[in-house]
Amino acid sequence: MYVNGVTLKNRGVPDSHKLSVYAGTGGYDALRKVLQEPMAPEQIIAEMKKSALRGRGGAGFPTGLKWSFMPKGVSGTKYLLCNADEGEPGTCKDRDIMRYEPHRLIEGMIIGAYAMGATAGYIFIRGEFIEPINIVEGALAEAYAAGYLGKNILGTNFSFDLYVYRGAGAYICGEETALMEALEGKKGQPRFKPPFPASYGLYGRPTTINNVETFASVPDIITKGGEWFLNLGKPNNGGTKIFSVTGQVQKPGNYEVPMGLPFRELLEMAGGLRPGRQLKAVIPGGTSTAMIAGEVMMDVTMDYDSISKAGSALGAGSVIVMDDSVCMVRTVERIARFYMHESCGQCTPCREGMGWLWRVMHRLENGQGREEDLQLLLDVGSRIEGRTICALADGGVAPVVSSIKLFREEYEYHIEHKRCMISMGEH
Amino acid sequence: MSSPISTADLHDEALLARLRAMVAESPVPEAAISEILQALQKARGYIDDEALQLAATMTGLSPVKVEELCTFYSLLLREPVGIHVMRVCDSIACHMAGAQDILAQARQHCGVEFGEVSRSGKLTVIPHVCIGMCDRAPALMVDDEALGPMDKQALTRLLAQLEADVWKPS
Ligand SMILES: NC(=O)C1=CN([C@@H]2O[C@H](COP(=O)(O)OP(=O)(O)OC[C@H]3O[C@@H](n4cnc5c(N)ncnc54)[C@H](O)[C@@H]3O)[C@@H](O)[C@H]2O)C=CC1
Ligand SMILES: Cc1cc2nc3c(=O)[nH]c(=O)nc-3n(C[C@H](O)[C@H](O)[C@H](O)COP(=O)(O)O)c2cc1C
Ligand code: SF4
Ligand code: FES
Repeated sequence: MYVNGVTLKNRGVPDSHKLSVYAGTGGYDALRKVLQEPMAPEQIIAEMKKSALRGRGGAGFPTGLKWSFMPKGVSGTKYLLCNADEGEPGTCKDRDIMRYEPHRLIEGMIIGAYAMGATAGYIFIRGEFIEPINIVEGALAEAYAAGYLGKNILGTNFSFDLYVYRGAGAYICGEETALMEALEGKKGQPRFKPPFPASYGLYGRPTTINNVETFASVPDIITKGGEWFLNLGKPNNGGTKIFSVTGQVQKPGNYEVPMGLPFRELLEMAGGLRPGRQLKAVIPGGTSTAMIAGEVMMDVTMDYDSISKAGSALGAGSVIVMDDSVCMVRTVERIARFYMHESCGQCTPCREGMGWLWRVMHRLENGQGREEDLQLLLDVGSRIEGRTICALADGGVAPVVSSIKLFREEYEYHIEHKRCMISMGEH
Repeated sequence: MSSPISTADLHDEALLARLRAMVAESPVPEAAISEILQALQKARGYIDDEALQLAATMTGLSPVKVEELCTFYSLLLREPVGIHVMRVCDSIACHMAGAQDILAQARQHCGVEFGEVSRSGKLTVIPHVCIGMCDRAPALMVDDEALGPMDKQALTRLLAQLEADVWKPS
């Protein structure tokens, strides 16, 4: 179902999570190349830069550049972390990399550790992901037994230890600095940035953190070259990307495709809409990204630059498809509730603001909306944006504001008629 | 979480040894707190006062701090639960696929509010944020098992199996 698969290449192969299967398809060749050829750390980072791989956790920061920030020549522990907290509603891609390709993730991390001089690492997996946790732990044991982890890897003087850490359930722990706080045994509340993790990370030590899909892209970049990876996608948007296509499509699922694929083709791969339905809107990158109107989306290609030109963000690649049976007010009310629930409470604009957004959305949905409510939502939104420690709050504002801009008449109908213009099933 | 309420003895040497190993493997003792609480909850169903005290002692954190962590993290429970815990996703993709109906049916079956122990003692139903099963919406978790897509029939069957003690994770 996917083209040019990189990070989910072996999905569908029986026992793809086992070392024997991974090794049989060239697994750990990249690590061998790096350690035995050997490749200098600077060479690896240069290859990463060439690949134009951008962070798959959602912000799209260039990975090679991030890796180059790690200080050299410092003594003591340096950490490498994998963000497998995958909490953005609509996102379930890292889950499948961990289920089907855990060794690809592990190999990518070992290469990263070598390139940045990291000595210890954690894979922070959300506690809800029991099956992925068990599979990754099994894979780590296999990798240790095979000499890919631990002391003197493949007989060199490079050593790296890697552990699984299970989260206890909080969306905010996916924010990288909150994740570090949680790892230290504290409440997962974000720190101010800067300083960025490369200068002050886990336990205050130099740290680099990347998403599961980012690390899983690394082995093929090393064996086939940065140029090869870049050419899979588009300039500045290298490689393939997994899109979790959910919502009102006939075949929801994870589709790994080249960056820059037209949205209409992705929609087709996911089985298209249900018969007789029209595309109303799409949330292209998870609930923290702005909605795009259906007709605009049909002309967008799936890459960072094209989607930001359309006024939203590629995010983690969580494509939520909404057809014309969806009540926007009701849907956004649910999303607003999520952000209210998940605010960590540190910043007043977020703690209070998320509550306001939800309460107003809730009364609109329940036919108690007032005429001034739309302006109130927009005002509250503008007073939150850019005024908080982390991006959670902006993420909570985006769906509210974008949906009012796109579907104002639907909101107005709710206020005027005290009910929905679109009946959503029997609700 | 699949074990009945407060069965595991907190003086059980094997359990204590596992918890001590968690502390020993951590760079600092308090970093083990999340693993320890999750292990204790798995053994006892929920974090009762005795378990909380033990977790605090082992990690050197104050009981108040541990209490705060239990409040912050949604997988940690401080109230008794039924033999099984069912977490039903109520986030966007599942909502669009009918999560409200699943939640309503599950609550009606239990005859109590969310988070409380059902009349039969077999089940506690809790709404939960996205569980990363959005491609199989509407989704839920029973103990350690993620299931979806659910519908009225599938849920009716599942609830009957849980009541009859014949449900088994795959
Ligand atoms: N995958 C998921 O489940 C979720 C993903 N997200 C995504 O997370 C994104 C926001 O993430 P943030 O980490 O807040 O974005 P950010 O832009 O602050 O950082 C992105 C990465 O680049 C690094 N970075 C950025 N500027 C830097 C600089 N000047 N120097 C050194 N390093 C720098 C950061 O340390 C981080 O690793 C959103 O765009 C959203 O799409 C949000 C929620 C959940
Ligand atoms: C509220 C919030 C939640 C986040 N959740 C995740 C997450 O679950 N997984 C993830 O990889 N990044 C998440 N991020 C982004 C991380 O902060 C960070 O940018 C990312 O892990 C960096 O890795 P990358 O460069 O490989 O994308 C989140 C950000 C915010 C603001
Ligand atoms: S923006 Fe919200 S979630 Fe982020 S640190 Fe502030 S209060 Fe916490
Ligand atoms: S929205 Fe329900 S599992 Fe993600």
